[in-house]
Amino acid sequence: MEEHKTVNFMRLLSDDSTHSTVSSDSCEYYQTEIFDLLPSIQASRPEQSRKPSEAYQDGPVPGEESVYGHLSSGPRDKAPTQPLRNMVICIQGKRSARERRKMQISESWRRSQSINRKRVLAQIGGALSGLLPWQHTLHAIEGRFGVGVKAYFVFLRYLVHLNLLHCVLICGLILGPTLFYSITKSSEPLKFGGNDSVLDFFLGSGYLDRSPVFYGFYTRGSLNMQCLNTPLLYLAGILTILFLSLILVVRRTTVGYKHTWMLGKRYSMNVSYKIFGGWDFTIQDPAAAALKHSFIRNDLKLFLEEQSFSRREAQRTLGQRVRLYLLRFFLNLLVLALLGGAFYLIYFATKTSQDVIGHHWLVSLVLEYLPPIAISFVNLLLPQIFRKISSFEDYSFTMQVNAMLVRSIFLKLASLGIYLFFIFKTTKKPHAVQCLENLFGREMYKLCIFNFLTAFCNAFFLNYPRKLLHEKYPSSFLARLWGKQRFLVPFNVLDLVYSQTVSWVGVFYCPLLPLIEAVTLMATFYIQKFSVLRCCVAEQRMFRGSISSVLFHFMLLLGLLMAAATLGLNLYQPEGTHMSSCGPFGNGQSVFNVTGVCVDSLPGPAQSTLRYLASSAFALPLILAEILILTSYVSRGRANQKAIERLKEMLVMSSSDKRFLVKQHTTMLRRQRNPCRVRPATIEENQPLTPSHEN
Amino acid sequence: MGNKQTIFTDEQLDAYQDCTFFTRKEILRLHSRYHELAPHLVPMDYTNDPDCKLPLALIVNMPELNENPFRNRIVESFSEDGMGNLSFNEFVDMFSVLSEMAPRELKAIYAFKIYDFNVDNYLCKEDLVKTLNRLTKEELTPEEVVLVCEKAIEEADLDGDNKLSYADFENMITRAPDFLSTFHIRI
Repeated sequence: MEEHKTVNFMRLLSDDSTHSTVSSDSCEYYQTEIFDLLPSIQASRPEQSRKPSEAYQDGPVPGEESVYGHLSSGPRDKAPTQPLRNMVICIQGKRSARERRKMQISESWRRSQSINRKRVLAQIGGALSGLLPWQHTLHAIEGRFGVGVKAYFVFLRYLVHLNLLHCVLICGLILGPTLFYSITKSSEPLKFGGNDSVLDFFLGSGYLDRSPVFYGFYTRGSLNMQCLNTPLLYLAGILTILFLSLILVVRRTTVGYKHTWMLGKRYSMNVSYKIFGGWDFTIQDPAAAALKHSFIRNDLKLFLEEQSFSRREAQRTLGQRVRLYLLRFFLNLLVLALLGGAFYLIYFATKTSQDVIGHHWLVSLVLEYLPPIAISFVNLLLPQIFRKISSFEDYSFTMQVNAMLVRSIFLKLASLGIYLFFIFKTTKKPHAVQCLENLFGREMYKLCIFNFLTAFCNAFFLNYPRKLLHEKYPSSFLARLWGKQRFLVPFNVLDLVYSQTVSWVGVFYCPLLPLIEAVTLMATFYIQKFSVLRCCVAEQRMFRGSISSVLFHFMLLLGLLMAAATLGLNLYQPEGTHMSSCGPFGNGQSVFNVTGVCVDSLPGPAQSTLRYLASSAFALPLILAEILILTSYVSRGRANQKAIERLKEMLVMSSSDKRFLVKQHTTMLRRQRNPCRVRPATIEENQPLTPSHEN
Repeated sequence: MGNKQTIFTDEQLDAYQDCTFFTRKEILRLHSRYHELAPHLVPMDYTNDPDCKLPLALIVNMPELNENPFRNRIVESFSEDGMGNLSFNEFVDMFSVLSEMAPRELKAIYAFKIYDFNVDNYLCKEDLVKTLNRLTKEELTPEEVVLVCEKAIEEADLDGDNKLSYADFENMITRAPDFLSTFHIRI
């Protein structure tokens, strides 16, 4: 019998390769007898079956013992301590399980106390987050416009908080000591007089020039110890602001990046998650539900478009490819040329704005604001041209959006950088009395004010009339030409990043700039809220990558680095080229002098430690250590990736082994039960090949 | 404790508290919601465990479920008879699993059940097609639907059987950070 069985086994092998009694389709595989006996199926089976007859009696016993962790090694071990709530059986079953466990009153009381505690904590957390400003507004916006627009407002709120934090630091470290310890040379209080006018608030001269807004106000004062003096506090304040911003922004960037990395770079193509996790079960409003449906549909259509694009791309011939790369090269040259032209325009505006004497007040006002006007004009015009250019480059849709975004970010930050470079290099020191740093501060102040004015005018003089036009004359030519206003999230975020960068660059020369910035941002919130809720329609296509918070915070990080670099370059000047005559570092002292004096006054060991830390003998080993650590992380990540691939292959192989063996077993059983169906001739002909197979 | 309610015995309320993620007050509130759905069918006195079930049509009209494209499947997967008739126990069970206190693993199991339209413990292509049609309100063409479903199975299927078992599903869903916050109904 065993030999025959063996022969059958071998025979079945070759039979099956051509046709088999068990269909290769999966239906019957899952209905075979041995399938139910497989350990992996046993572990998952009990929590899925809930026969009605059992529910009202003792409750399914296996249900309690195999908890939901059927993939874990020892479900039965965990059972007695598994909380009842977490089990995957119906309530009646849980009640019976509860009775079986015969929980002590005190134990059940303790459990309910712990869950009450968790609830109270959750409620406190909810109340605190409700205290966050504008929470209900954000909720309303999310319902009507989706997550992308809400992300913009969340980012705006984050910037307001950041600026308020800067204000607190400035009041504590800079404004406070100066006001308290000031030796007032001219003891007149700050008031409107002489040549001051309302224009001063736009130009930053006159009244504002003497006020705490600008650098010149902060004199050395009577706090004059070696290591605790006003200049050092001023420097400490500015450095703290920059470091704190760096830590906060980097932390937010890496947290967001870890999330998107954890989903794998396949996230944007992760269709299965789009299907199963796409719907938000908390939606109760019909309009929000319709919006969500359209988002999901457009997301999937975007994915399909990507697929068809990559198919088309794979079919390009060599000649087409060469032509395309040449075209892209020339278009990029064109982009560079346009950027160069824009920078030259800014330079020209800067040069022109520097001779304002002897004009009518309105003309001089416009001339003073000429550089910010030029920057805004450039940033309005060029992105449109970039969009036109990128449509010729034959990229997939997401790539087009990304390319345009990268170019716009570069344009915005570089135009600011170029402008700063020009004013730092070309501003002539006008009189001996006036303060050069005040002039720089004034330029930053003008940029800040102009940003706010642009946002204001855009909302009230462009968007609102556009909306009125669409309401009153929807079929007129102008209405059809202009189109409806859509809120483009990435570009608005770029504006926010730009204004925050201005604030960071300007904080050294204009310490109250964060306060002005915070106030302007709060006003911008309400302006944008009006613009979005009253004048815009929801954007139908959501480009996931472009609204991710990682991108926003990364842009902010770029702005911060640029601000720090500009500040550092401007402050680092060789001795003797420029002695500032105003502000905390007046009287011929520079930033580095002040710190040098303090370090010299410290006790010996502290002094030598500090000098060692600042020298290159420390920096080099530090950099080497960082490189080593990074390399080890990267190589560990790669090894893990390889292990994952191997395990996946093993899983597929063992799964197909399992299917094969189940099929064999079933076919064997069937042949045993229906021996007449087995071909008799084949049994006698074959030799027992492995007689030792069975025993 | 001075609660004068006569709907449940204290012992019943304790049992509910242990078996679900709700407190006593919330269970009483749930009972009043359940009662509102059919005041003439649902007794106010549950002390002797009456056998009262509400049909599917009443439950899916609740405002919390009304806009959900999977509302029928949600209610069906929590009902004993699989037809969507919920007793009060099952009603509480459903909202307990969908509340914010439920752990991720529990939600993943029930999410799997909800998306498994033909209740065969696997998410096969037909299940995905039905899910997708509900999600997009049938605005994609059939070829597009097939393409998307095939790609989804290809991405998530780890053991190569062209279906998604619970292990595949769990692996895919737990990598998403916002699953817990989207798979949640507040009542």
